[in-house]
Amino acid sequence: MASVNILDYEILTSQGDLKESVNKIKDDKTKISFRKNIPFYSFEEKITQNQKSIYDALKKLISKIVLKLSDDSKKSTALLVGTSIIDWNLVDAINSCAYEYKKTSYNSHKTSIDTYAKNLSDEFGLNGFTMTINTACTSSANALLEASNLINSGIVDNVIVVGLEIYLPLMSDGFYKMELISNTHAKPFDKNRDGLVLGEAIGAILVGKSDSKWSLLGGFSNCNSATITSVGASGDECVEVIEEALDRLKLTPKDITALKAHATGSISNDEAEMNAISRVFKNGIDFTAMKPYIGHTIGASGVVEIALFMGCIDGGFIPKTLFCDESISKTHMPLTKHKECKEGLFMCNYFGFGGNNISLVIEKKS
Amino acid sequence: MKLYIKNFSSYRSDKEEIDIKKTLKQKYKYDTRRQDAFIHLAVYGAKLLSEKVEIKPDDEFYLTSGVGNIDVVQRTNTTVYENNEALKLFDFINLLGNTTSYYVASALGLKSKNIFQISDNFTYINSLISLYASINNSKKDAILCAIDLLSEPPEITKRVFGADEVQKMCSSVNYQKFSLSKKDAIAEIEFDAKIYSLEEIKAQLVYNNHQIETSKTKMFETLASYKVNDALKDGSDLVFIECFEDRYKILKLKSLR
Repeated sequence: MASVNILDYEILTSQGDLKESVNKIKDDKTKISFRKNIPFYSFEEKITQNQKSIYDALKKLISKIVLKLSDDSKKSTALLVGTSIIDWNLVDAINSCAYEYKKTSYNSHKTSIDTYAKNLSDEFGLNGFTMTINTACTSSANALLEASNLINSGIVDNVIVVGLEIYLPLMSDGFYKMELISNTHAKPFDKNRDGLVLGEAIGAILVGKSDSKWSLLGGFSNCNSATITSVGASGDECVEVIEEALDRLKLTPKDITALKAHATGSISNDEAEMNAISRVFKNGIDFTAMKPYIGHTIGASGVVEIALFMGCIDGGFIPKTLFCDESISKTHMPLTKHKECKEGLFMCNYFGFGGNNISLVIEKKS
Repeated sequence: MKLYIKNFSSYRSDKEEIDIKKTLKQKYKYDTRRQDAFIHLAVYGAKLLSEKVEIKPDDEFYLTSGVGNIDVVQRTNTTVYENNEALKLFDFINLLGNTTSYYVASALGLKSKNIFQISDNFTYINSLISLYASINNSKKDAILCAIDLLSEPPEITKRVFGADEVQKMCSSVNYQKFSLSKKDAIAEIEFDAKIYSLEEIKAQLVYNNHQIETSKTKMFETLASYKVNDALKDGSDLVFIECFEDRYKILKLKSLR
């Protein structure tokens, strides 16, 4: 499996931009807020659920990356988005004609959830290949692997991979209805964990073949879960993607320096993931979770958590797992203190709704 | 880029009137509960494909659509915002694009890569490019589903497809199974990532000995996939030119029968 290099990355989370987010993690100063009395990691500056607000936020973030590209590079740069947000153009169309009292005169434009990507590609003079992937929690992680394939097949030289998730009451209500939301904090792998906390974030990672200290070595993605909403308690499905990713990269568990777990804080998924970690990494592994810092950013989590994790390594440390006081495993405990680390091979796992699971391996060379 | 097509399946609502849910239950003994019409249409197409070609658990799967499951967005919007009622659990689950691809994977026994994706202009051709890039690296075979379900009222679909108000619309689902290997293939399909201008596209019209299709009006967004299947059914060659805002993309299909 051929690797691609990670050339640039930017994020905006509830804790601020990349630098601010990393610093708040390092200094234990991350903050949680509430939406409708439910814990939620909100942007400091509100992004509302409409096309313009979302587009402007994406444009501002992506421009930080695009402005560093030459005109020639832009023409061979594709744009992939991973998200699970609702298509607001579609909602507008529904509101314009499905309810008699709201009906407006006929007006039609070709739109879809990919319209953000298409318009951004046009505005920044990118090469026009755009795609928006919705595989729930694995959306932008899958987009990263798809980007790697596009580059390694010689179709484009670079890809900007975007993760996008903003506060959506429907999504919050859905998770709440499934009794998956904690009333306090996400406490991944802790015996007293009681659910996840959602968050909003956007992120962008530029991948390509130019030299870089960071690279995406590859990974493995599949859809093979016990049910549509969770993996089985044994962790079999998680083991499968982790081992297949290692196998494809000709790596062994011992080669992995540390692991960024999916670690939602939900009862069943944490149990499955911990079983998988302890089965694959029998001799132990340093592992941690990003969700207690920024929330579960669903479709954006692939890009945003990897970028945040890279930011921490660039800052010289692997972050501890907040709120895990007593591990559900007798043999495996997530990091309880920040650990110094500046380079290595890192596995990033995502196990999500819709049966989609993915394991990626990134590397930072000295 | 070139791929070989092992087989295909096709359904179009204006050509054939079928009660899909009933057919899934009675003919295929398929459990349709918790799903909706969009998912049923996708699974129906998958079942048709499985009757024509061997499906292997490690076949990769891509599902694309012009807009996705319009019905579930409308239903949710009506429930929550118009009627002020609580969100229904299975509507929430079905809102996620990959719910549909999960059900298709389950119906086909797939345990492989599974991607639900939409590209704004050329969703079928761009999905072919993604699929090609993926199996070029994995060396697996892959299945592509292209699906559009006409919602009620049809005006919703027309508004988001950029269609004229009087344009007739329909539902359609089309599958192909692709491989990098020519063995047992019924056709080869060529495409590239390039977006052509009108002048460049005119130069492509030298393929006068081929059936040439252009599409400026579409009864559904993934018409290109249907046209490919239509040509496959006849064993004919096809050059398909798709147009969006004066940008063009080309597919070239050559029968191997």
